Amino acid sequence: MTSTPMATALAVPILALALSGCASFSPDGGMDAVNRATQARTGAATTLLRTEHDRNALAEQLKPMLAQPLGADDAVRIALLNNRALQATYWELGIAEADLVQAGRLQNPAFGYQHKRGGGSTSIERSLAVNLANLLTAPLAVRMERGRFEQAQLRVTSEALKTAAETRRAYYEAVGAAQAVEYAKQVAGAADASAELAQRMRKAGNWSAFDQAREAAFYAEAMADVARASSAASAARERLTRLLGLAGTEGGYRLPERLPELPAAAPELADVEQAALRERLDVRAAAKEAEHTAASLGLTRATRFINVLELGALREREGGEPVQRGYEVTLEIPLFDWGTARTRRAEAVYMQAVNRVAETAVNARSEAREAYFAWRTAYDLARHYRDVVIPLRKQLSDETLLRYNGMLLSTFELLADAREQRVAVAAAIDALKEYWIADAGLEAALGGRPHGAAAAGDKPNEANKPNEANKPNEASQPNKPNKPDQTTGSTQHNAHGAHP
Amino acid sequence: MTASSNSRRTFLAGATTLLSAGMVSRAGAASLPEAPVHASAATAAPLVPPNGRPYNPVVTLNGWSLPWRMKDGVKEFHLVAEPVVREVAPGMTANLWGYNGQSPGPTIEVVEGDRVRIFVTNKLPEHTSIHWHGQILPNGMDGVSGVTQPSIQPGKTFVYEFVAKHAGTFMYHPHADEMVQMAMGMMGFWVTHPKDIRQHAVDRDFVFLLGAYDIEPGSYTPQVNTMLDFNLWTFNSRVFPAIDPMVVRQGDRVRIRAGNLTMTNHPIHLHGHTFQVTGTDGGWVRPSARWPEVTTDIAVGQMRAIEFVADNPGDWAFHCHKSHHTMNAMGHDVPTLIGVDHRGVAEKINNLVPGYMVMGDKGGSMGSMRMALPENTLPMMTGTGQFGEIEMGGMFTLVKVREGQARGDYRDPGHYRHPKGSVAYEWTGELPPAPQAPGMAPLAPAQGKPVDVKRGGGHEHH
Repeated sequence: MTSTPMATALAVPILALALSGCASFSPDGGMDAVNRATQARTGAATTLLRTEHDRNALAEQLKPMLAQPLGADDAVRIALLNNRALQATYWELGIAEADLVQAGRLQNPAFGYQHKRGGGSTSIERSLAVNLANLLTAPLAVRMERGRFEQAQLRVTSEALKTAAETRRAYYEAVGAAQAVEYAKQVAGAADASAELAQRMRKAGNWSAFDQAREAAFYAEAMADVARASSAASAARERLTRLLGLAGTEGGYRLPERLPELPAAAPELADVEQAALRERLDVRAAAKEAEHTAASLGLTRATRFINVLELGALREREGGEPVQRGYEVTLEIPLFDWGTARTRRAEAVYMQAVNRVAETAVNARSEAREAYFAWRTAYDLARHYRDVVIPLRKQLSDETLLRYNGMLLSTFELLADAREQRVAVAAAIDALKEYWIADAGLEAALGGRPHGAAAAGDKPNEANKPNEANKPNEASQPNKPNKPDQTTGSTQHNAHGAHP
Repeated sequence: MTASSNSRRTFLAGATTLLSAGMVSRAGAASLPEAPVHASAATAAPLVPPNGRPYNPVVTLNGWSLPWRMKDGVKEFHLVAEPVVREVAPGMTANLWGYNGQSPGPTIEVVEGDRVRIFVTNKLPEHTSIHWHGQILPNGMDGVSGVTQPSIQPGKTFVYEFVAKHAGTFMYHPHADEMVQMAMGMMGFWVTHPKDIRQHAVDRDFVFLLGAYDIEPGSYTPQVNTMLDFNLWTFNSRVFPAIDPMVVRQGDRVRIRAGNLTMTNHPIHLHGHTFQVTGTDGGWVRPSARWPEVTTDIAVGQMRAIEFVADNPGDWAFHCHKSHHTMNAMGHDVPTLIGVDHRGVAEKINNLVPGYMVMGDKGGSMGSMRMALPENTLPMMTGTGQFGEIEMGGMFTLVKVREGQARGDYRDPGHYRHPKGSVAYEWTGELPPAPQAPGMAPLAPAQGKPVDVKRGGGHEHH
C-alpha cells in the first residue's frame, strides 16, 4: 500500500463508494446475527424486545415454560429473552448501527453565501463546498463502522452467552441447594427420631439425662443445619430469579427436585483448545479488531497527504460582472507534516491489536484447558461419589441394619448411620452440582456448546422421584448410571468435548 | 462301635471323615507315627483301645480321640499344630488354630503308668510348644517355651516323652505366644484312665473344654486381644444348638469332665439331678470330701469331673449359669429399650431406614423373628424345642436321659415324651383375688418414672 500512488489510493475508495452505496438500517437492527450466534452456542433464541407488544408476547411465551419445573435449558432460554441487563445490551446494537448508517451517509454539502457591499459595489459570493475527504473516505469509514457494528454484535452475543452461562450456573446452584435442604431435613429427621426415642428412653427410666441431652443436641444442631441450608437455597434461587428477570407471580416458578444425572461417559481433552479458538467470541472480536485496525492503518496511509483536502465548487459574481464558475482545491503541502506520525501511530495501534489477538488466543487456550481440567475433576469426583462412596455408604447401612437385626447394634447407631449416610448423599449432591457448574464453565470457556447440543441436564431425571429419596437404597444411588435417557446425555457430552 | 484301626474309624454321625494320614514327610514317616486328621464337628464314637492296657473310653463332645501306635511298649501319638476351620455352628465357621484338623485338638487317652511319646509337628506360621496341664513329668517335658525347652519353630517336630503317672482329667495347650494361641483355639483334652478298669468306672464319660472367642459379626477370625468381652461361649468350640446332647440311659452312672480355658469362671449347672465333683485336674476327690451340688464353678484353668446317676428321665438343661454365656454374639453396648414406647418414632425411623423393626421394647426376646444377619453370624438365640423357641445359645446343651437307650448308644433319641399330666399347663379356671394388705390402694403397675435420687441433701451450705 505504501508504494501505491496517491491517485490509485483515492480511486479505490471512490470506486468502493460507488459500488457499495449508502448503508441503511437493517430490519432486525443486527439482532438476527446475534440470535443466530447465540442459538448456535446455547441452543436458545434471543430477541430484542422493542415494544410493549413484544413484551406481552414474551410473557405469553413464558407462561407454559413457567408452569413446568424449569429445566436448565429453559432457564437459559428465559434469561436470554427476559434478562433486562441483556435487553439493555441489545440496544447497543442500535447505537452501533446508527453510527454505521451515519458513516455511510455523505456529509451534507455546505452552501456558502457571501454578500458584500461597500463603495457602491455589491459582491455576492456563493459557494457549495463538499467535504471531499469525507466523500473519499466514506467507504473506509463505512467499513470501519461496519466493523464496529460487527464488534458490537459480537459483544452483545458474548454478553448473551455470559448471561446464559451465569444462568446455567445459578440454575444448578439453585437446584443443588434446594436438594441439599431436602437432605438436611432428612438428617434432621434421623436426629429427630433419635431425640424423641431418647426422650422416651429417659421417660421409661432407661437412660440418663446425659444420654438424652446428647441426642437432643444432635437434633438441635441438625435443625440449625436445615436453617442454614434453607437460607443458602433461597439466596441461590433469588440469584437465578434475577438472571431470569422474573418478578411478581412469575417468581413462583418451580425447579426440579433433583439435579440431572451425571452423563455416562466423559469426553476426553480432544480439540478443547481448538474449539475455544474457533468458537470463542472474544477471540473472534480480537481478530476483528485487528482487521479493523489494519483497515484503519490502510486508510491512514492512503490519506496521509490529503488530510485537509477540500474540494469546493465556486460560483462567484462580483458587481454586475458575469458569474464566474470554477472550483477551488486546497491542498496541504506536506512540508512540515508528512503524516509519518499519524502512520506510525496507526501502525502502533495495529500492532497493539495484533498482540491483543495473540494474547486473547493464549488466554482462550489456557482457559479452555483450565476449564476442561476443572470439569474433568468435577466429573471424576461426582462419579467417585456415585460409583464408590455412595455404594459403600449403602453397604455400611445394609451391614448396620443386619447388626441391628442381630441386636448387635442399637436403634441409635442405626439412626446415626442414617445421619451419616445422608451427609454422604449431600456431599454426592454437592459433587454433582459442582460438576454441572463446571460443565457450564467449560461451555463458557469454549464459547458455548456446539450447535444442536441440547443440554444433557435439560430434563430433571424422572427416575429420581423425590419420595424415593426417602429410601436409603434409592438415595444412595441418587444417579443411576444406566438410565436410557442418560445415553443421549452422554453422546451429547461426547460431542461437547470432541466437536470438530 | 467296635475297635477300629488307626486309619479307619466309625463316627456317631455315620460319616467317615478321616481325611489323611500323610501329614509327615516321607523321610520322617519311617520313624513318626501317623497323624490322623478329623474334619467333622460331630461327636465321634468312643475310641475303644485296640492295644495296650484296656480302659473305658470317654466321649469327646463334638470331638474325637487321637489314635496311637505302640512302639516298644511306648504309646506314640502325633499331634500336628495347624490352622483349622471349625464349624462353630451351622451357618458359622471360625478360622482357628488347632491340632490334627480340629480345634480343640483330639482327646488323648492313656492309662495310668503308660509311657507316652508325643510327636508335635508345628505347621503354624509361628513357633509353639505344648504344656501337659496337670501331668507330673520331667521338667524338660513341661512345654513352657523359653523355660523348659526351646519353642518348636514352624516346620519342626519335637518329641515329648513321659510316664502318665496319675489317673485323672487333664488337658494340653501351648505355653508359647500364649494369649494368641489359646485365643485361637489351641487346646485339647487329656484323660489318664486308671490302671484298674473297674476303678472310677462309669457308664458314660463325657469330656469337653470351655472356650471363649470374640469373633466380630461378619468376620471369621477371633480377636486375639480381647480379654473379657467375648461373644462366643463354647463347649469344644461349639455353641448351642450345635453342641451335641449328652445322651444317657436311665440309671447310668454318668461322668462329665470339663476344663476351663476361658478368661472367666463358669458355674456349670445341671437340671434334674444332683451331682458330686469327683475329680479335679489335681486328681480324684476322696469320697468323704465330696458334697452334693447342682452347680459347680469351674475356675479359669481348672478341670472338674462331676458324677451323677441319671435316675430322672427327660431332657435336662446343662449350661453355664452366667446368663450372657448362654447367648451367642450380641451387642454389649445396646441400650435397654424395655418399656420404651415406640409409637410414632418407629414410623419416623422406618422412613429413614426401611426394614427397621422395633425390637427390645418388651424385652430382649426376639421370639420367632428371623431377620437377616451379617455374614457368618449366629443369631443370639436359636434352637427349637418341642414347645417352641429355646432362647439360649452358647454354653448350653441337654442331658437326655432315656429309659430305653441302649448301652453304648449315643444317638440323639429326639424330644422327651413327657408322661401324661407331667407338663406345666395353662390355668384356665377362676383366679382367686390377689391378697392385699388391709387399707392399701390396689397395686398399680409401675409407671416407669426415672429414679430421682437426691444426694447430699443439706450439705450444700457446709
